[in-house]
Amino acid sequence: MAPMPQAVLEAAAVAKRYGGIAALEDGALSLGRGEVHVLLGSNGSGKSTLCKIIAGAVRPDAGRLRFGERRGFFSDPAAAQAAGIATVYQETGLAPTLSVADNVLLGQEPVGRLGRIRRDRMGARLARIYERVGGLAEGIDPRALVMDLGIDRRQIVEIMKALSHDPEVIIFDESTSSLDRRQVEAFFGLVGGLRDAGASIVFISHRMEEIFAIGDRVSVMRNGSTVAVRDVAATSREELIELMIGGAVGGQPDRPPGRDRGDVLLRVAGLDAGKARGAVLDLHRGEILGLGGLHGQGQSDLLLGIYGGLKRTAGEVAAGEAAVPPGRPDAALTSGIVYVSGDRGRAGALTGRPILENLVIGMLSKERPSLVDLAGMRGRVRPIIERMQLRFGALSDAIETLSGGNQQKVVIGRGLATGPRILLLDDPTKGVDVEAKRDLFGLLRELCDEGLGVILYSSETGELIENADRVLVFNSGRIVGEILHGKLSEYSLNAAALRTEGADA
Amino acid sequence: MPEAAQERARPGAWVRDSPWLLAAVLLVAFAILNAAIQANFFTPFSLALNVTTVLPLMLIAVGQTYVVLGGSIDLSLGAIVSLVNVVAVEIITALGTGPGAIGAGLVAGLATGLACGMLNGLIVSLFRLPPIVTTFATGVIFGGLALIVLPQAGGSLPPAYYLVYAQGFLGLTLPIWLVVLLIGGVWLVGGTRFNRHLLAVGSNRQAAFQTGLPVRRIVFASHAAAGLLAAMAALCILGVAGAGDPLMGQAFTLGSVSAVVLGGTALAGGWGGPAGSILGACILVLINNIIFFANIDFVYQSVVQSAIILAALAAGVFASRRRR
Amino acid sequence: MRVGAVLRDPAAATLIGCVLLLGVGEALAPGFAGFGQVVGQFGVAAILAIVAAGQGIVILAGREGIDLSVGSTMSLAALVAGNIMGGENAGLLPALVAALVVGGAVGLFNGLGATVLRIPPLVMTLGTAGVVTGLLVVLTQGRPSGAAAPALGAFVSRPMLLGLPGVLIAWALLAMLVETGLRRTRFGLNLYAVGSNDHAARLAGVRVATTRVLAYAACGALAGLAGFFLLGYTGAVFVGAGEQYILPSVIAVVLGGTSLAGGRGSYLGSAAGAVFLTILTAFLTTLSIAPAERQIIFGAILIGFMLVYSRE
Repeated sequence: MAPMPQAVLEAAAVAKRYGGIAALEDGALSLGRGEVHVLLGSNGSGKSTLCKIIAGAVRPDAGRLRFGERRGFFSDPAAAQAAGIATVYQETGLAPTLSVADNVLLGQEPVGRLGRIRRDRMGARLARIYERVGGLAEGIDPRALVMDLGIDRRQIVEIMKALSHDPEVIIFDESTSSLDRRQVEAFFGLVGGLRDAGASIVFISHRMEEIFAIGDRVSVMRNGSTVAVRDVAATSREELIELMIGGAVGGQPDRPPGRDRGDVLLRVAGLDAGKARGAVLDLHRGEILGLGGLHGQGQSDLLLGIYGGLKRTAGEVAAGEAAVPPGRPDAALTSGIVYVSGDRGRAGALTGRPILENLVIGMLSKERPSLVDLAGMRGRVRPIIERMQLRFGALSDAIETLSGGNQQKVVIGRGLATGPRILLLDDPTKGVDVEAKRDLFGLLRELCDEGLGVILYSSETGELIENADRVLVFNSGRIVGEILHGKLSEYSLNAAALRTEGADA
Repeated sequence: MPEAAQERARPGAWVRDSPWLLAAVLLVAFAILNAAIQANFFTPFSLALNVTTVLPLMLIAVGQTYVVLGGSIDLSLGAIVSLVNVVAVEIITALGTGPGAIGAGLVAGLATGLACGMLNGLIVSLFRLPPIVTTFATGVIFGGLALIVLPQAGGSLPPAYYLVYAQGFLGLTLPIWLVVLLIGGVWLVGGTRFNRHLLAVGSNRQAAFQTGLPVRRIVFASHAAAGLLAAMAALCILGVAGAGDPLMGQAFTLGSVSAVVLGGTALAGGWGGPAGSILGACILVLINNIIFFANIDFVYQSVVQSAIILAALAAGVFASRRRR
Repeated sequence: MRVGAVLRDPAAATLIGCVLLLGVGEALAPGFAGFGQVVGQFGVAAILAIVAAGQGIVILAGREGIDLSVGSTMSLAALVAGNIMGGENAGLLPALVAALVVGGAVGLFNGLGATVLRIPPLVMTLGTAGVVTGLLVVLTQGRPSGAAAPALGAFVSRPMLLGLPGVLIAWALLAMLVETGLRRTRFGLNLYAVGSNDHAARLAGVRVATTRVLAYAACGALAGLAGFFLLGYTGAVFVGAGEQYILPSVIAVVLGGTSLAGGRGSYLGSAAGAVFLTILTAFLTTLSIAPAERQIIFGAILIGFMLVYSRE
């Protein structure tokens, strides 16, 4: 893999750790002038971290960067932008109360006398950007407020904002994940045009079709390292998937086959919530039901819709015989359902509060005692702490003194302490170290043997293969396939997840 | 521009995109009500008097709006009014009441207000302390300073000061000209880059920072502007009162917040504008008028007025919330 | 605990400040820290501390929680209580209940506005303060009204037990009750959870809106109680009786280390803050510092304290 002689940007040996977890160990990227370079890798392989470091948004622990004649990393996003590197992130960095036009040209408004914005010149610049973006920006009113736009159009506005700086290098971080097929085609047209105009493009995608549609070269990342670079014309899907998952395409690891299906614990009929559309599923006693597919295809919304954390727009949910009312997490908890998010910071940890309080808050909601016997509670959470192998100083320490993995154990322990019959896990091991993951899934298996039913969404395919009894694969909010135990493999899951054709007819 | 961009995405969007609309409707309604119970409401004399009454609140409310748009709030504006009021009076009195003394007093007053606003901006933007408590605390300090400068209402201004203020130029009184200037100024600022960046900061501070906007400087500038506008309001109040009062500003802090909320500006920042606050200030003065002329028993005036204001505030919050 | 750790705890720093003030005051004006003097100070502090308890609860609940109507709520509760008592001891208990109910009702109104209608608490409670003040004008016709029962006057000023007036004992009991309520009841733990991370609390089954509404109601009831005791000092009620407690109640809570962002803090901290403010006032009065200068010192201390303890 000789670096291209006229590489415009080169990053090598880039490393970044968050706490004890290595997000990036040996990241590398050699971006040729005027090429579309795809970064491929499973969720958590380090693609986004590498891009953020190149764009100056994250400070690396080690490594080298060269951009043109300039050496060294950028100190902040503005510096990278000024040098000619623009990044389009997934999460939007837009001001919701401003119009599309104001967002696109924010910070570079043409100014006339008295510091007033020259509307005419602004319109002209905007028209140029609209022209450049072409069909992709179709139907987006420059006067519309960003908060009135759907997520797809916000993404397009982000793209326009990045292009407004006339960048030399553009990084698209999964920019197509929220776009529909027509928009994706327009986007490819735009990328092709940019390349022909001499820009160099880094493109992160999980969709195999897209790689072959517009990629020139592809760098494959695995576990925080860049492991291979290939010419797109000289590779195949199979080779890329093998590179992504490392070595040969293996089958399911050796473990007992899915147990006999017990009674139905949870029945979901035609559920619409957020992105999830028309979900139908049964969860059986003792089963771990996996949800697979690309990240953000409606899996989380389905779980939240069942639990009541998200508005249910259609459909019924029943736990055993009893209907689960919509929009009432407290009622779901009472009927034996527990939801645990992997997004600890936003949806899990009660920051600033002691570990003990974090553990018992669910029990309190379910049992509703007026007075709290903390000593008794301490005794009751003890077995859970032991089973989860939680490592902590004292139960009175604030939760943020724990490592990420142990914080997550606390959030899961909070749910388990309520004695649930149904556990909804929403990517529960995000940012959790290997050891904690092993502890967690060991415990889950034991609990399932005792009669618990689990729905597990994981952005890591490996986790589903190792732990799920069957997997429902999601695409664009719908369940598009079911892979049964015995058929579960990196290959079958990746292939199903990357399949966009016929998914949403 | 592409054809699709020529059309509004949503019919009637301008209704929802105009935060001041509710205030405008309320203003018309209250004006009609006022005219119904006060026979001479629409006479030039009465209108000019109302403009003089509303001007100080308008100025302060516009300043408060800029602060709120950027995601902050200033609870010291009333105290700044008090401090500027007494500083100007003391300086004019000390310098001997000539035109030079009046000029020096005006300059000193404006400088005092600006300095107070800059202090607020410095603490809020540089040290990132919560603005509600910070500006409340600085307000306590400014109020204390005002009491030291002039412990009791008093001091007297040369008649030239309030005669000029009340006199007309080209057929209109000075306060009317000042309102025209204020509206012109608000319009000018509304088209600037600063205004756009201020809204961006209040809307999504992180995004504004990532875009490379000087977030701290913008927040600082909004507080400084509010201090300066509060100083102007204090000088206008002197033009009517003719004497200093260290407690003069007290009611204006809450009045300005009320005017801002009434005008449809979101307290969370990033949405709204000073035009709505100008209307909001007018509404508050009209409510006062109506209560006064409605022959309501004195003891009931306060509760009726507060209830109307609370209801109007709730409506204002609703108007701005549809956008958030 | 190490000295550094103690100083980093705002509540502890505030308590140390109290002791220092007493020491310096005693050195400058012998008798300042005498038993009778200090008991008197604490009696004054008790009323502020009771208001601060409610203010602290609302601030703990997060989402820019604040109650600027506590002053007028105090006055209204005192007015109702004073008229029920009419100077007779027999009316004491009904008056107390009425004060709590009136205060709680005002708080409930605030809570519903702030939570159900989602009006920013600052705006909502200011609006309520205006309406309640207007109501007071109507009810009192602008004249002092109502009369405290003699027993209430004695309760707040005469020694009752161990040389301490009843109001101090009541405050001590209340402090234990509030602190226990925060740490040992479901409502208290829910309050911390909601203030710390309301999204996570909701997903853990906590009824977030109910908890916040109850917080405002509790704040109102505590303000009502404070108004009841205030009546013991003032004898009769005038419209602005409670005004002077609004801002000090917020300062006391902040000095006590309660985060304005919600979810962190304790009642003992707020109580220490109330005592500190009261002693500081007495101290500055002893040094014959005029009210205006006192005001400046208050503001400067508040900002200085925040610079050290509440940097975001």
